[in-house]
Amino acid sequence: MLTACASTEPAQDTSDYDPLEPVNRVVHGVNGAVDFMVLYPAAMWYRDIAPQPVKTSVASFVRNINEPLNSFNALLQGDPDQAAASFQRFIMNSTIGLLGFNDVATDFGIPYRREDFGQTLAHYGIGGGPYIVLPLIGPSNLRDTTGIAVDYVANPLTWGAENSDTAEALYWGSLGLTALHTRYATINQLNELQKSSIDYYAALRSLYRQQRNTLIRNGAPAPASAVEDESASFDFDDAVEAASQ
Amino acid sequence: MANNKIAIPAAAMIAIAAAWSGHASATSLSSDVVAEVAVETSAADVIKTMADQAMVELTDHTLADDVRREKFVSLMDRYFEMDVVSRFVLGRYWRTISNQEIEEFSVLLQNYLALNYANQFKEFNGEQFVVGDETQKNKDTFVDSQFVRPDGPPINIVWRMRMFDDSYKIIDVSIEGLSMGITQRDEFTSVIQQNNDDVGALTAALKAKTGL
Repeated sequence: MLTACASTEPAQDTSDYDPLEPVNRVVHGVNGAVDFMVLYPAAMWYRDIAPQPVKTSVASFVRNINEPLNSFNALLQGDPDQAAASFQRFIMNSTIGLLGFNDVATDFGIPYRREDFGQTLAHYGIGGGPYIVLPLIGPSNLRDTTGIAVDYVANPLTWGAENSDTAEALYWGSLGLTALHTRYATINQLNELQKSSIDYYAALRSLYRQQRNTLIRNGAPAPASAVEDESASFDFDDAVEAASQ
Repeated sequence: MANNKIAIPAAAMIAIAAAWSGHASATSLSSDVVAEVAVETSAADVIKTMADQAMVELTDHTLADDVRREKFVSLMDRYFEMDVVSRFVLGRYWRTISNQEIEEFSVLLQNYLALNYANQFKEFNGEQFVVGDETQKNKDTFVDSQFVRPDGPPINIVWRMRMFDDSYKIIDVSIEGLSMGITQRDEFTSVIQQNNDDVGALTAALKAKTGL
């Protein structure tokens, strides 16, 4: 079950729930090894070889290919304005922006916003459920894994890939570029985190949860009700009280 | 694809050090708000003062790394309520150790953070630190700020502050919605849990990292 109760408030997970931890740690280790052999060297190469305009174009392309899903999910979340904005971005960037390689929509004042089906579920109050480290993809949870599956099915590009060789090439190409760009974008930070952390797995797990909370709130500050409740077992008030004893 | 969900948090980890420096001159908080709080120094003023001080003390390129770390630690001493932060990052395990041990842990924690972040100040070049509004939520005052970079979007940093003996002290820092305190607590309590609830395993790991 994804959650015990659904409410109208967007879901905010306040503590890690990881009943599959032993398995997750193994997958995390295997992902790390695969990354070290394949994606990490590719990203290092890309970082050092590709000129900045190429990187900017790739980043735009990767965002643009996601816009139909952003629009679809904004609509499902009852936000037609955002759905229209994402759709507008897609049309503008795919045409004037030359297949999405240029983000002209941002210059026109329509900023990018990512919306996926995991966020849509959370919007209707569904919590993350158990943490899951997916093979190759990495940190996720039951809700967001469901979201990935739904987004896969809902993605027009995956329907197209079944019927057209061009769409299939575009699909695989975009997947490869997304992986490369994403790894490149996180390379310094993850290196730093891996070096500084004592338990890299646990640090990533916490950051994933908080990052999803932020995306679900669309970047808005946490409401006062959620602020005092970071953890069911121990929050700042508890710490202050403990220190004053 | 899901990997980019951790991109911003990871970036934030790096940005924290940078956030503590910068030129705190850009905007000032509305003085009306300050007056309402009815305290000599507003929470936002404390952040500005700290940022100015960090800028002066930590960005000097000629500084030796260990001296920079020492200065970083003394800044934390002055502006953070370390007793609360230390207990928070230990979660419920603070109960399993003595007050003496908590004090020792606090020193280790500060040195660990200095090790991870102090060196970021070396690479300062053209960034600006802008302090914005304060918001009161329950018992805490949240001070918004931005770290403005010449090459990239600004990074939003929120300082969580609470009043202790008539002055505001920092108890948490959030960068792009990611709380450093919560991240550290989740990591540290995991380390303790993995070692049969023994806080000693965590302090040993911190000692190994910091060389203390």
